[in-house]
Amino acid sequence: MTETPVFAVVGHPNKGKSSVVATLSQNDAIAIALEPGTTRRRQTYPLSVDGEVLYELVDTPGFQRPRRVLAWLEAHSLSASDHADTVVAFLNQHRDSEVFTDECELLTPLMAGAGIIYVVDGSVPYSPEHEAEMTILRWTGRPSLALINSIGPGDHARTWQAALGQFFQVVRRFDAVRAPFEDHLGLLKAFGQLEPSWEPALERAVHYLAAQREQRQWQSAELIANALADMMAWQERRTVTAVATPVAATDRVAQELREHWYRHQRQREQSLRLAVEHLYQHSRIQRQEAELTWHSEHDLFSERSRRLWGVSRSYLAAAGFGAGALGGVGVDALTLGSSFGAGALIGGLMGAAGSVFYGDRLAQSLWRLGPLKEGLQTIRFGPVQDTQFGYIVLGRAVDHWWSISQRNHAGRDPLDLAPHDSHWLTELARGPRQELQQLLNKARKNKALEPRDRQRLATVIHDVMSAYRAWRLNRD
Amino acid sequence: MTEAPLSLLIEFDDQVRRDQSQSPVFLHRRDRKFAIACNTAGQTPGPRQWLDHLHSLNPASPSTASPGPLARWRAVAWGFGLVGAILGVITMLGLLFYDGGQQINVTVILAFIALQLGLALLTTLQSLIGWQPWGRLATWLKTHGAGQPERPALSRLQPALMAGCAHLGGLAFGLTGGLTLLTLVVVQDLAFGWSSTLTAGADAYHHLVVAISAPWHSLWPAAVPSADLVRDSRFFRIESASAVVPARWGDWWPFLAMAWLCYVVIPRAALLLAARIQLAVQARLALRQHPGLAALMYRMETPALDTGDGHADASDAPDLAIRHQVRPLPASPVRIHWAGADEGLRWPEPPDDDTVLILQAGGSATLAQDRQVLQQARLRLANERQPTVTVVTRAWQPPTGELADFLADARQAWPDGTLTALVPVGADANPVEPAQLDQWLRFVDRLTSPSLQLCQPASDNRADAREQAAGAHND
Repeated sequence: MTETPVFAVVGHPNKGKSSVVATLSQNDAIAIALEPGTTRRRQTYPLSVDGEVLYELVDTPGFQRPRRVLAWLEAHSLSASDHADTVVAFLNQHRDSEVFTDECELLTPLMAGAGIIYVVDGSVPYSPEHEAEMTILRWTGRPSLALINSIGPGDHARTWQAALGQFFQVVRRFDAVRAPFEDHLGLLKAFGQLEPSWEPALERAVHYLAAQREQRQWQSAELIANALADMMAWQERRTVTAVATPVAATDRVAQELREHWYRHQRQREQSLRLAVEHLYQHSRIQRQEAELTWHSEHDLFSERSRRLWGVSRSYLAAAGFGAGALGGVGVDALTLGSSFGAGALIGGLMGAAGSVFYGDRLAQSLWRLGPLKEGLQTIRFGPVQDTQFGYIVLGRAVDHWWSISQRNHAGRDPLDLAPHDSHWLTELARGPRQELQQLLNKARKNKALEPRDRQRLATVIHDVMSAYRAWRLNRD
Repeated sequence: MTEAPLSLLIEFDDQVRRDQSQSPVFLHRRDRKFAIACNTAGQTPGPRQWLDHLHSLNPASPSTASPGPLARWRAVAWGFGLVGAILGVITMLGLLFYDGGQQINVTVILAFIALQLGLALLTTLQSLIGWQPWGRLATWLKTHGAGQPERPALSRLQPALMAGCAHLGGLAFGLTGGLTLLTLVVVQDLAFGWSSTLTAGADAYHHLVVAISAPWHSLWPAAVPSADLVRDSRFFRIESASAVVPARWGDWWPFLAMAWLCYVVIPRAALLLAARIQLAVQARLALRQHPGLAALMYRMETPALDTGDGHADASDAPDLAIRHQVRPLPASPVRIHWAGADEGLRWPEPPDDDTVLILQAGGSATLAQDRQVLQQARLRLANERQPTVTVVTRAWQPPTGELADFLADARQAWPDGTLTALVPVGADANPVEPAQLDQWLRFVDRLTSPSLQLCQPASDNRADAREQAAGAHND
């Protein structure tokens, strides 16, 4: 049976070893700080599928006394053939030493068979002081790969590449904080190429990670679809005594309902945010609540949000025409075509008119009084009559999903969801666009979308996400 | 039997709701493990097995953990049954009210039976097309299920559930009505007759009752009224022809009892059974279309990927407090560049002169060379009244154990009281960034040597700012 590949991430202190491990293990709970000694003990991060470990990453402390270690090794070696044995002897000699604690922690997994992932910071100039570390690593005789990580804005990667090429089998650039997911997979494939027996396990890992990535987009689409359907159909209601309730009191109740409705919508949006973040294994993102951090003009209900995330009247008319025409085609089919397509035309015109009419009612009052019955009257607020509201919720949700799906787990900066000044939804193909409009209208009218409609909505949102991705990649 | 799919649906729906508070990773791991265990045991995992598995692991939640909606519907059904039973007795007492005056009109009873049959068929039709004239009751049930969430999976079953309740009430109505009829036949001397405002003759009426009797014609011929009975029991004939034997007026009861049984009781029972079957079919369909089932099947079929995010130590950060402060750079006769810190170095002040001894240590130098540097410095400091050494380091490289060792060796080698000024410098003669300076300040803190100071050239404004900030911090 082939042994599980193990990769020890080693290097100088504070060069992003933990960042690399955090990103590859999708773990945002690993301590990362620009302080030497943040990692004090080696820690293993296995990737497993159904309990079977495919590979392990070992995060290690940085070298503290490489020249002293090298001096010890050179003093106890006769020839290159005993280098690995000498390193083992060093570990045996200093296992309980306080001076070489960090070196023992990082060399132990290597001498147990781990591959070397040597991490340097390519944003600072190359220094010969690293050569002692690289020499020690070469003494271990283990398969090795060097990663040029970039912590700061500088770029000295070329110098590093030239120097590292003399010590390591493979040298790659990898920005632990900003590297796209495809680069993660590419790096894992490179790990597999260090040793032929490791390749199958790493290939499997890449396959499962890619499948998980695709599935997460579907799961996100379902989460957004459920939230969207809930928010579109939400209604606050309260029954009051009509006789004893003067107009002013009724207005007060209406105002309370309005506030409750708005609060509920904001909370539902926030719960969606958390669900998407947890799906992508981000549990420590500093994303403050919209009301607290965002400027009020970026709130869910602001006019600015409407301008940024809503869609134009012409878009609504076009989408509504398509959605109405879909229904009209049904009329044509029922009449076996004897209506000569008139059903589609009429349906389209009605859909367009309805979309424009209902597409601008967010600002209008959503509250209404029920009929007076036995001295009681029900005041209702919602559901929203504006399909624009759905586009705003959807736009913000997809933008958040994109930020989360692109965010590496080494990232520690607060999540900045800055609004964009472009209506990316116009990139969506006609079919999904019309179906989206149709489903939003349905969600607006119904109290709860049927599971089948929710599934359709999730499918359309998946298309929307793909369109958004294409738009972002073209824009960036 | 027919409740099993419904209770399975509700139980499944409850579990899916409970799972919403769990992390997707946990759910995937849990359900995938169950699926693997099933495959190993040669079983096909399904919702029933899945729920049984979860219940076996969570004994606190018994299999009937969700009696809520089902119990409420049972209560409604029993309520309908009770009301139906009472109404059946009252209605039959009313229909068979006989005070010895005018005979009981068979036509009225037949019309009532037809009405019952019509209502039964209408109820079934309602449930088949999904029309809910009982919608208010459903709303009431939702409203009075305090804390009970809305169940989209169950809402589509409401027409069938309502039909079942209505048919149960109708069946109870029919049974108690029939029993009341038989009881009155035994305890009372009932006189039946028939009349109609329509100009129907006795022959036509006889044909009608024979047609109505078709279901039991061969089983119980005596329960089919004869032409003579029909002719003799017509109201105006009874009154005009007193020769008719009054004892025959009661001969209608077998026909009425069988008509009640065949057109009220049996249809209700059959339609109740049909409603139960419809409910079971719809519950199975709802379970198959339940979004939670698709998600469960995905979790069971897809390998559970654990990327190694179990370990968390982000909250276990090192102490980042700073107690030391930046000092002005003192004049020094010895300057040591640590680990190649002289590359691109622009040394602003104090200006160098020929008397300053400049040495290289650390980095690519050997340990023996480091020791030699210490000795050279010692010799240069021997005649100094206030011995001071400047150690220049690269600010962007973190301080390591080797530098700490070097400084410890220096304290041993150099004259007592030698002040060591540690001076981190920026790359390419750029100012030192505050974050970089902080790690060096903490390094000096850790070494706890009174003769070691972190210094910056006075012209470096950032250092001034840092010094002020450090001073404020200490205050």
